[in-house]
Amino acid sequence: MSEEGGQKGSWLWAGGVLAWKLARSLARPVARVLMGRRIQPIGEIKRVGEAARPGRVSDAVMLGLEATALTQALRDTFEEIHGPEAEETSERENDRNLDAERGVNVEKREKWGTALVVFWLALAFAGGIAFLFTYWTGGNNLILGSMLGVFFGCFGIALVVWSHSLVPHTEATEPRAPLAAPTPKFQSAMGDFTRGYHQIQRRNLLKWASVAGAGMVAAVFISFLRSMGRSPEASLYTRVWKQGQRLMKFDGTPVTVDALQPGSTMIVFPEGSEDTETAQTVLLRVRPELLRLPASRSTWAPGGYLAYSRVCTHAGCSVGMYERTSHLLMCPCHQSTFDVLIGAQPTGGPAARALPQLPLYADDRGFLRAGGGFTEPPGPGFWGMP
Amino acid sequence: MIRSTARGLDTRLRIAPVVREALNHVFPDHWSFMLGEIALYSFVILVASGLFLAMFYNGSAAQVVYHGSYHPLDGVKMSAAYQSLLNLSFDVPAGLLMRQMHHWAADIFIAAIVVHQARIFFTAAYRRPREINWVVGMTLLLLALANGYFGYSMCGDLLSGAGLRIGYAILLSLPVIGPWMTFIFLGGTVPADTVIPRLYAWHIFLVPMLLGVLLVVHLAIIWRQYHTNFPGPGRSQTSIVGARLWPSYTLKSIGLFLLLLGILAALGGLVQIDPVWIYGPYDPVSIIPGAQPDWYLGWIEGAMRLFPGVNLHLGSYLIPEVFFPAVLFPGLLIVVLYLYPFLEKAFTRDHGSYNVLRIPSQYPFNTALGCAVFSCLILLEFAGADDVLVMASSGSVVALRLLFRVLFFVVPIAVGVVVYTLCWLARRKHAEAHLLAEGAPQPR
Amino acid sequence: MSWAGTSLSVLFSILFASQIAHAQQTASAGSPDGKAIFEQRCAKCHGEYGQGISAVVSIAGPSLQAEHNRGRVITAVETGPKHMPSFIRTLSVPEIRAVASYVTDDIAVISLHGGNIGEGGELFRVYCAPCHRTDVRGGALAFVGANAPDISRKSPALVAGAIRWGPGGMPAFPSSVINDQQLASIVEYIRYVQRPASPGGTPMNWYGPVAEGFAAWVIVFILVILTTWIEKGGKG
Repeated sequence: MSEEGGQKGSWLWAGGVLAWKLARSLARPVARVLMGRRIQPIGEIKRVGEAARPGRVSDAVMLGLEATALTQALRDTFEEIHGPEAEETSERENDRNLDAERGVNVEKREKWGTALVVFWLALAFAGGIAFLFTYWTGGNNLILGSMLGVFFGCFGIALVVWSHSLVPHTEATEPRAPLAAPTPKFQSAMGDFTRGYHQIQRRNLLKWASVAGAGMVAAVFISFLRSMGRSPEASLYTRVWKQGQRLMKFDGTPVTVDALQPGSTMIVFPEGSEDTETAQTVLLRVRPELLRLPASRSTWAPGGYLAYSRVCTHAGCSVGMYERTSHLLMCPCHQSTFDVLIGAQPTGGPAARALPQLPLYADDRGFLRAGGGFTEPPGPGFWGMP
Repeated sequence: MIRSTARGLDTRLRIAPVVREALNHVFPDHWSFMLGEIALYSFVILVASGLFLAMFYNGSAAQVVYHGSYHPLDGVKMSAAYQSLLNLSFDVPAGLLMRQMHHWAADIFIAAIVVHQARIFFTAAYRRPREINWVVGMTLLLLALANGYFGYSMCGDLLSGAGLRIGYAILLSLPVIGPWMTFIFLGGTVPADTVIPRLYAWHIFLVPMLLGVLLVVHLAIIWRQYHTNFPGPGRSQTSIVGARLWPSYTLKSIGLFLLLLGILAALGGLVQIDPVWIYGPYDPVSIIPGAQPDWYLGWIEGAMRLFPGVNLHLGSYLIPEVFFPAVLFPGLLIVVLYLYPFLEKAFTRDHGSYNVLRIPSQYPFNTALGCAVFSCLILLEFAGADDVLVMASSGSVVALRLLFRVLFFVVPIAVGVVVYTLCWLARRKHAEAHLLAEGAPQPR
Repeated sequence: MSWAGTSLSVLFSILFASQIAHAQQTASAGSPDGKAIFEQRCAKCHGEYGQGISAVVSIAGPSLQAEHNRGRVITAVETGPKHMPSFIRTLSVPEIRAVASYVTDDIAVISLHGGNIGEGGELFRVYCAPCHRTDVRGGALAFVGANAPDISRKSPALVAGAIRWGPGGMPAFPSSVINDQQLASIVEYIRYVQRPASPGGTPMNWYGPVAEGFAAWVIVFILVILTTWIEKGGKG
């Protein structure tokens, strides 16, 4: 069977070789017909220093392209504009050879350098293999990261050692081309622009069209920006609670007058409210004789219960810390402190305004209810704050 | 094979002269010129690791219930974004490594930019003709800061959620336009449902695109203008001395890239960063202390903690207390930094073009000012971490804060004076040495 | 001399006899009454129902209402941890065992079973994390002079008791705020977070972005030093 296959294969092979030879021999005449010129042999167009490469198909095609009249014409035009492309010698001839200057034993350095580079590369690949092994066997993060680090790090060290020891140390000096174009060139560029400008402008129409157009585009852009959100609305100015609303716990049950002992706190929300962000309120109980609320709020704390907004008036974090011996509410973000006995006035830290207080009363069934909204909209201050 | 490929490209693109010029391009051979490359390569690593993360991150704030492989959060409600991060960290092979590499690369990216900018500042490389590049570079720094903030806020965890609330308060504090800005850009009260998807779009598309474009501009300008040089033999206004790009500089540069990548991979594997599963998902009623932002915003955090509770009433309008430390102070600093080359030109009346660097001690005012500002910012960074410092050392926050308030004024002035004196002395010694060596007075 | 010896031996025998008599007396009273011993010796510091007394007064002791481990109670009574006196000389072994049984059977009314770690974590982050931090290594409480303590090494019983009792400046959370099942959940979560998993590597003592920033700058300085090495190659 394989013999048969082999025979078939050998026919295919022969056919392929034949087609190849045909194509090669046809390539030149076809190219000539298509492009209508005598195709120049390789030897005439190569640059100084390039070795001749006889008889490759790819070269033939490229030659065809290069040798067209069009390309030649392009070359001529380019040289006309930019000056002849002289044969270029290597700029590196003038670099200082620091190794020679310092009398460094380059061979010795290269020997050591090669050994070191091989060492670091070996280490790198060991790390890489360790990484692959760990990854494909479901490895843990520490090994994955450290082995990957070994791979890249040692590879990097190898390259740096390579640059230190296996590269000749030279110092190059290059002239800095002056940045400003020579005045004639600059003048001609400005001249071209001005000429074109004068061709299109009509009195001040161009100027005003540009200015007005830019302004209109800006207005359109700002309009699109406006789509990103809504205008500041009532939610900024809300006092959250309504008169008579019951205080509710997390689990949805109402708060009764025996819920807390002095020294305890809990978090409450208005009955029926879904909003936890601005509506969160801290309910605490202190011994009533300690209270020093202002006279207008003397009825706001039945049985020593106090309720304040839990959103810090400084930068809006939840005022989650309570120290019961000093009766201080504290915000963990910037350590603003509020004394609950005097209406949550700030006694320390960067907050400037007291936490809004919620007036409380106990109804005849023993539930705690709000006697109105917060004294101020909760949260940090803003420009139009009432 | 290389040759025929090169020839093929050249016949199609005429790149041979350009490539040749590139291969011969001279780079100065001082180590301080590689600092910008640390930043550049960090950015490359950020984009690469970010591509991986973007495959798994779900930028949605929709609430879901978690039932994955991290047991302590089983049954907990969280945003889909947070859930996707838990999935990435615990269930995707090498997912946690990529996440950590990305976050470490971000911290190091901005630190490298700061170090690089410091080198530019202290050696006065921002002078003509490089003012444009200074402005471009400052913009890159600000974009990087913004992208870092958006990036870690995208996680939807409790720590960054606190940061978003503070960001909301800062934006809200702007006079006149504050409420508008928050409602338009943040969608209302934060973190509203609209914020996380927005942060996602800004973080992976808008800001990286701007960063990429400006980076290309930054590098193109450097290429065109050539680097500066430290003063030395052969180095002048009209010539540059150094190593050629090919082969020595290429090897060193790629070596640096690989070293950086190796260090980041090792960090990603060995040192935990931003363990979002411990912080827990964001929930408006929860909060944690030690809610510092990432280090590059710590100076604003410090300013916010030190600034006393003073707000400004203009008639019936309020400018709240966070405006001054978080908007006015950083804003002024940034504006001065942007304009610094132009301010220096106006101040010294020196509009000359310079391709040779200035040794820092030769211009004491600049160096002293830079050191003073740096010391002030470092102090603010420590002030922003005062509750962590207290925990690590068992002191008192009150006392520490008072100390920092005093030091905020004392330290920069002291540092400025000391540095100025040292530079002045160094300059005098240098001038004397010149006099002795050459026997003639030297110009300043 | 013999007079001294006789009187000494008489003294010793009287003392010895009284000890024996005393021991016989207690032995003959049957098994000791744990409740009586508790009320006599423990309630002063731990409260009548073992609910704990806050540290604002000079004598204070933690709540025992979650202590279900007899062995731990016995160890505490014998060794006297922290400010607690040791009772190993004043109480006999049967008495210590009796009071331990009383504590675990009658005083400990908080069950620590049936908790749900997920729910516990959520409640922890609302009530506990603000003061004690997410890693329970304690938090700085500004302006009051004391810090919320590090509870990473406290027993579950102590933690549960503290939540109900509110030692020192800590507010108390009665069952109207956190019910028993929720309390068990919180304690289960705290037990996990006392030694949390750190799959990403070393957690740097859980200090957060501050420690991460320090580390980033250390790495950048290392990188800068590496660039000096990379470039030095040109200098031979």
